[in-house]
Amino acid sequence: MKLNYIIREGIVGIRRSTMAFMNSVFSVTIALVLVAVGVLFVDNGLEFIGQLQADYDLEIFLENEADAGIKQELATIISEYPGIFRMDYLSKEDAAALYNAEFGEDVLSLLDDNPLPSSFRVTFEETYRSTNYIQAFINSMEALPMVDEIMFKRDLFDRVQGIMKSIYVVAAAAIFLIILSTVFLTSNNLRLMILSRYDFIETVRLLGASDFMVKAPFFLEGGLLGFIGGVFAILIISGFEFALKYFHIIDLPSRIMNHPELMIGTLLFGIALSSLGMLKTVRRMLRFVA
Amino acid sequence: MIQFDRVHLRYDSGISLRDLNFRVDPNEFIYLFGPSGSGKSSILRLIYMELFPNAGEVNVFNINSIRARRQDIAKVRQNIGMVFQVSRLLPDRDVYANIALPLELLGFPSKEVRQKVTHIADELNIRSRLNHYPHELSGGEERRLSLARASINLPDILLVDEPTAHLDEISKKSVMEAICRIHDRGTSVIFATHDDSLLRQHNARVLTLDSGTIIEDRIV
Ligand SMILES: Nc1ncnc2c1ncn2[C@@H]1O[C@H](COP(=O)(O)OP(=O)(O)OP(=O)(O)O)[C@@H](O)[C@H]1O
Ligand SMILES: [Mg+2]
Repeated sequence: MKLNYIIREGIVGIRRSTMAFMNSVFSVTIALVLVAVGVLFVDNGLEFIGQLQADYDLEIFLENEADAGIKQELATIISEYPGIFRMDYLSKEDAAALYNAEFGEDVLSLLDDNPLPSSFRVTFEETYRSTNYIQAFINSMEALPMVDEIMFKRDLFDRVQGIMKSIYVVAAAAIFLIILSTVFLTSNNLRLMILSRYDFIETVRLLGASDFMVKAPFFLEGGLLGFIGGVFAILIISGFEFALKYFHIIDLPSRIMNHPELMIGTLLFGIALSSLGMLKTVRRMLRFVA
Repeated sequence: MIQFDRVHLRYDSGISLRDLNFRVDPNEFIYLFGPSGSGKSSILRLIYMELFPNAGEVNVFNINSIRARRQDIAKVRQNIGMVFQVSRLLPDRDVYANIALPLELLGFPSKEVRQKVTHIADELNIRSRLNHYPHELSGGEERRLSLARASINLPDILLVDEPTAHLDEISKKSVMEAICRIHDRGTSVIFATHDDSLLRQHNARVLTLDSGTIIEDRIV
């Protein structure tokens, strides 16, 4: 079976040049650590900013006359509105309790009647969270009976959204640059590694190997290389996260261990990066061999 | 089987082969005879398609040098055994692995590979060297190793480039015998040499070269 040859040669290639192989693993590991740390950095940054935001986007105050039936109806309308992530009802009593907690004074002791209105606190899903969308929501809510006033801190909201958006843009650009430089870093390293095997490639080709049979073992070797690099990168990052926590430096909200998709992504990116890099390098080398 | 039609080959250093016309039939034994630099190795390289003519064409097994694709070239080489002038053995693999390589590239099962390798190693008297590395071999053993690798797949054509250079009489003889045995199995042999003492040893066709042209084509 030709597959036998490809697999054995792919693995034997590693044994034959352990130093060069480990060198490449090292460079792939560094590349992957950079990419994954970039992603984690952004994710953690967004988490922190998210914590700065109010715990809800807007509050709908109801008129005093609203009875239980109307409230129930409004609750249904609001919660069925597309893009609502979360809705909480605050009764007059809840509002009084919150007032009490905030100002240390009992409203009921000052006035006989509770003047605070009942309300709904509404939070939108991330993808629906734009000023225009929220404004449209407010407009349709204001048309409903028994809705007294809607409080939406538009300025603060806009500012936070703006910061988030620019973080996304900067982060995407930064991660793109990191990925680009890792591709260069790795392909350079692979080229050095393959260069030392030029004689092998030439000899095997002269002995009658098809281009496929020349390339396949290197492709496999590249895949293994990327996989090992990916595993190392994940271990290094989680070790680092653990150390940050262990020494009470910071307890990150977003860690690689809680993100299987980031782990799988790191492995797949590593495998693709180095197997394709290997393929490209060998292909280029084959241009010099008839 | 091999056909050269008005082949010209030019290196950067200047013309090397001029207007070569000849054909090789199955089971021929041909000496390419000529002084150093006359173009012997270049002809062999044209046959296994490492080089391509600047004018004219080379046909090998119905594959044409002008139209050959890379797969075709691989196919041609799978039917040609080659003993290079500078040994192209893999220095980091033992004798066994070197001989086995052409079969493994074709996907032979490992049991069959083992049988064939030990058989040919016996035949060429390098059985005891199978676990050694090429640099541990004597000159004669190294040539026989190259021959073993070149003939393991029973090729239709065997190309040998100065296989007896720098060998003493005994080693020379054992290499020559091995080549003749391969020829006796039905393989065409093209043998490049500048050593005219070899030519008189048995019947063969001799193509005499001088500065890139065939000046004589005779049977001895
Ligand atoms: N790669 C090359 N680049 C430039 N010139 C070359 C190259 N290979 C061979 N030549 C030239 O082509 C001519 C023929 O060379 P070739 O190697 O075919 O001769 P040869 O008959 O095999 O000689 P030798 O007996 O020394 O091996 C020589 O003049 C040589 O200098
Ligand atoms: Mg020569």
